[in-house]
Amino acid sequence: MIEVRGLAKSFGDLRVVEDVSFVARDGEITGLIGPNGAGKTTMFRLICTVLRPDRGTTLIDGIDSQKDPLAARRRLGVLPDLRALYTRLTAREHLRYFGELHGIGRSELAARIEELVVTLRMEDFIDRRAKGFSRGQQMKVALGRALVHQPHNIMLDEPTNGLDVATSRAVRDLLRRLRAEGRCILLTSHIMQEVAALADRIVVLAEGRIVLQGAPADLRRATGLNDLEEIFMAATQEAAAQPALAAGE
Amino acid sequence: MTMYATLTVFKKEMVDHLRDGRSILISMIYPLMGPLLLGLMFLFVGGGMRVNEGAPLVVPVVNAGNAPDLVRFLERGGATMQPLFGDARSLVSGGRAAFALILPGQPAPAGESPLQVRLITNPARVDSIVATSRVVELLNTYQRETLGGRLRAAGLPAEMMSVLNIEQENIGQAAGPAVILLTMIPPFLIFTLFTGGVHVALDATSGERERGSFETLMMNPVQRYQVLIGKLGATMVFTLMALGVQAIAFWVMLHSVPQESLGLVAPPSILRLALIVSVCLPLVVLAAATQLLISAVTRSVKEAQTYLGLLPLVPGLAGMVLALAPVRAQPMLAAIPTFGQTLLMGQLVRNEAVSAVFIGITGLATLTAVALLLLVGFRLYEREEILFPQ
Repeated sequence: MIEVRGLAKSFGDLRVVEDVSFVARDGEITGLIGPNGAGKTTMFRLICTVLRPDRGTTLIDGIDSQKDPLAARRRLGVLPDLRALYTRLTAREHLRYFGELHGIGRSELAARIEELVVTLRMEDFIDRRAKGFSRGQQMKVALGRALVHQPHNIMLDEPTNGLDVATSRAVRDLLRRLRAEGRCILLTSHIMQEVAALADRIVVLAEGRIVLQGAPADLRRATGLNDLEEIFMAATQEAAAQPALAAGE
Repeated sequence: MTMYATLTVFKKEMVDHLRDGRSILISMIYPLMGPLLLGLMFLFVGGGMRVNEGAPLVVPVVNAGNAPDLVRFLERGGATMQPLFGDARSLVSGGRAAFALILPGQPAPAGESPLQVRLITNPARVDSIVATSRVVELLNTYQRETLGGRLRAAGLPAEMMSVLNIEQENIGQAAGPAVILLTMIPPFLIFTLFTGGVHVALDATSGERERGSFETLMMNPVQRYQVLIGKLGATMVFTLMALGVQAIAFWVMLHSVPQESLGLVAPPSILRLALIVSVCLPLVVLAAATQLLISAVTRSVKEAQTYLGLLPLVPGLAGMVLALAPVRAQPMLAAIPTFGQTLLMGQLVRNEAVSAVFIGITGLATLTAVALLLLVGFRLYEREEILFPQ
């Protein structure tokens, strides 16, 4: 479970995240959505501890990520927006590198990699160097890299960005499987249909603040709107005038 | 876990960069350029001297008919007279004659006043240096023998004309042009130390940040200092590879070129070569730490490239200055990293004795500088900005 409590972050005079609190529960997919510049990426970076908040805390399975960032990171698997692969390493070497960074033993790591190769359908390119990989192949390696240590909490930034229909569907199926295993999944996406189809709870971020959060049914009830895109537009356009709107909490 | 994470980062960087053509080119091929350049200099300079020393001595001469005794003596000494027509100075300066021997304009009366002889030389040309020295030697012999004959004719011992009987013994590794060429080796080694691992340092920090993979790396359960040490290790290995390649290439070059003609008594032994490399070891860490630090504080790969390109010039220039204006190795100078090592390497390649205290001070001072650099590096790596392109 990821519990965010009153997170705030500024860069100089620019306040990027202001007093953000929400919970991403185990066995659920939580969608974090917001317009460009809403602070989603900064939120991601704060949760996965590469940025330090000015105020507030994040608990990863009850571990305060400020006090014990290494323990928190061990329980997190992160798929960043930039897949950023090492072009001279093979897909297998990527998975091995990140598995070793998590301290997984050699034989166990080999078994996990084989498992991921099958799960993510990487058989064709697992021993090829990453240079020249298609977007789909890059995403699969990055996803494998995030899952190799079998984290209980998984954060995905735009997981289907730039993927074809078949690969996007495969990713969505995988996320449902991970949810069914009881893992906590936090994802951002610009594709409202995807969030609507996957998310058990939605957090709408605008101008660094939460303007709406709750289960999709609660959001529909609270706003009187049926379409998630309409709900999103209404919430973000009112963000400047309306401090925060909570639903279903 | 501390060592394991560092080793994991180190291993990854090694595999990654051993597959990178630029890293290999800079650490394995570029270091060959120095020995190749110096070898060519040895070949051209040494080859020129050897040809001149073995070849018949041709003496371009003006007014040969006015000193028949001297000309006959020179011919008996193996010289061939080549009458010179036109302006001797312009013929020599234009390279059409190695030198010119100008004899008096009028026939000289035998045995009275000294014979007026003029040599026009051009020391900028190797063939001129060698041929001139052979002619001067012949002229001196002619003078000694003629004077000896006159003294004997007057009933005096010929030894009367000698005040000193000079014997010279060279106990150094080299003399003449070889000394100059040997003193160029330390600056080449220093330059290589500051370039050998540069691409690894650049790519593993600035490059990784620009590609976004640095951020992904730091999302894992590793301390930033562990990452820095892992990357430092890989940079050091590539620097060591460059140093090793260059040291071996210098050794091979010095054992393959015609050293005797240049004045090289014996090329450095393997032991001396190992000592030179050992003296450089603290600099390997210093160079790698400096490169990583520069890559970390600069905003982009291009900016880092600019500074890292200039970095080897600082210690390299000090070495070049030392080659031209030798400085005595004093303990105070040992405390200046790179300068102390340049002095030491100079002594080692010239086969001079080196002081253990000097070596100790040099190593300690350099390692202290490394410790300070790493402390700064650890602090810099804790900054948030280190992860994101600016």
